[in-house]
Amino acid sequence: MVSIPAIDRPQPASLATPQPKVQIEDLRFYYRNFEALKGINLTLYDKRVTSFIGPSGCGKSTLLRCLNRIYELYPDQRATGKVLVDGADILDPRQDLNLLRARIGMVFQKPTPFPMSIYDNIAFGIRLYEKLGPSQLDERVEEALRRAALWDEVKDKLRESGLSLSGGQQQRLCIARAVAVKPEILLLDEPASALDPISTQRIEELISELKSDYCIIIVTHNMQQAARSSDYTAFMYLGQMIEYDHTEAIFTHPKERQTEDYITGRFG
Amino acid sequence: MVSEHIIKSYDQELQRLDNTVAEMGGLAESQLAAAIEAVAKRDSELAARVVKGDARVDELEREVESLVVRLLALRQPMARDLRQIIAGLKISSDLERIADYAANVAKRSIALNQTPPVKPANGIPRMGRLGGAMIKDVLDAFVERDAEKALAVWLRDEEMDDLYTSLFRELLTYMIEDPRNITACAHLLFMAKNLERIGDHATNIAETLYFLVHGTPLAQVRPKRDRTSLALAPDADIDDPENEEG
Repeated sequence: MVSIPAIDRPQPASLATPQPKVQIEDLRFYYRNFEALKGINLTLYDKRVTSFIGPSGCGKSTLLRCLNRIYELYPDQRATGKVLVDGADILDPRQDLNLLRARIGMVFQKPTPFPMSIYDNIAFGIRLYEKLGPSQLDERVEEALRRAALWDEVKDKLRESGLSLSGGQQQRLCIARAVAVKPEILLLDEPASALDPISTQRIEELISELKSDYCIIIVTHNMQQAARSSDYTAFMYLGQMIEYDHTEAIFTHPKERQTEDYITGRFG
Repeated sequence: MVSEHIIKSYDQELQRLDNTVAEMGGLAESQLAAAIEAVAKRDSELAARVVKGDARVDELEREVESLVVRLLALRQPMARDLRQIIAGLKISSDLERIADYAANVAKRSIALNQTPPVKPANGIPRMGRLGGAMIKDVLDAFVERDAEKALAVWLRDEEMDDLYTSLFRELLTYMIEDPRNITACAHLLFMAKNLERIGDHATNIAETLYFLVHGTPLAQVRPKRDRTSLALAPDADIDDPENEEG
């Protein structure tokens, strides 16, 4: 099990002991016969941000996709091993997938607003899981949009199409949509790679605000983003977890040669 | 050795940083050697050249600074690269101080040459040779990224402190013996202090280098042997048999 070594400097009491949220045990993943994850063992912590970094094809997105079983939308893909969320294995076939995806929200690289109003983009997911009156629903939509730092920009045009927003706003709308159903874990797959630098910083700021409530996991190609936004960083290569540590340790003195080569730009 | 970056110009810039630091180091080393020669041979002309030569070291330090700023701003260095760049900046500022002290020794030697020779002046070349050897070794260690060699330099500063302490006592004794020695001995005292500080900067460089190679600071505590800040005039130190003859 790869878990984080104790950091040797004082931290505030509230931050001192991160609680494990997800325990991944010997996770293997197959696209037909190709083994894309080769026995991953990893502990992810609640109320922390963890980044997965690594070159294209290293398995980081695949690993993320295992965490809410979204891969099951595709044929010939399967996972073995265990992904324990609060101790319960989500790979168990009896797991209710809709419930699982409400607990574990996901935001993709390209903004994916539904072709409906800004309001309904948020309300849609809430209506699936809860029966709320109109005023309660209004409150929940507002809360989600505020959490995603989008409220002030859209409060006067909630009935306009979600597609009318800028790329950065659309991405925050998708985060609001994920947050609206009160998930426990947020999976972000390259959440800012299609955005301009200002929108990227807004998303990063948002991530740092959201982490007080969620276990957040980000896949990113942008190492500066991983360095800026995450508490822990996991470096993956060829389907294996090479190194997992405090972000500061990974970017200042990584233990593994492969990690060092990758983060310093020496990797072929 | 470390493999190359995918972006070749990054390697070239890092290499240029290393080369500039090494050039600065070579210059600081030769400035010190010349300053010591000026003292030993009472050569005021050479001393004047050393004083003038310090400007080039300052110029190289500014060059290192601008290279470092550029690398930090444009390359977002990580891990070993980041340590190399930070180390380059820190080492260059130590080397600049070393060269300053060498120039200072040279400047005082010009004043010293106006006074009759005094015997304790012989201690200065000895300290200077040790300082020069420490600089040379720590620069070799820098070029070879040899943390063990750096550690050896770091430990040798003890010897420098011992030389300083004994020269300090000797100078005090001379001054007490004959007040006419005071001018020369005061200059020698400042020179000795400058050389002792050069040893400290060489150990700083050794520490920086250790961090560069290992990624963690040198955790040991260096034995500190410069006790002159606690010293009294020898005749006041009546319980110390070493000073009884003084």
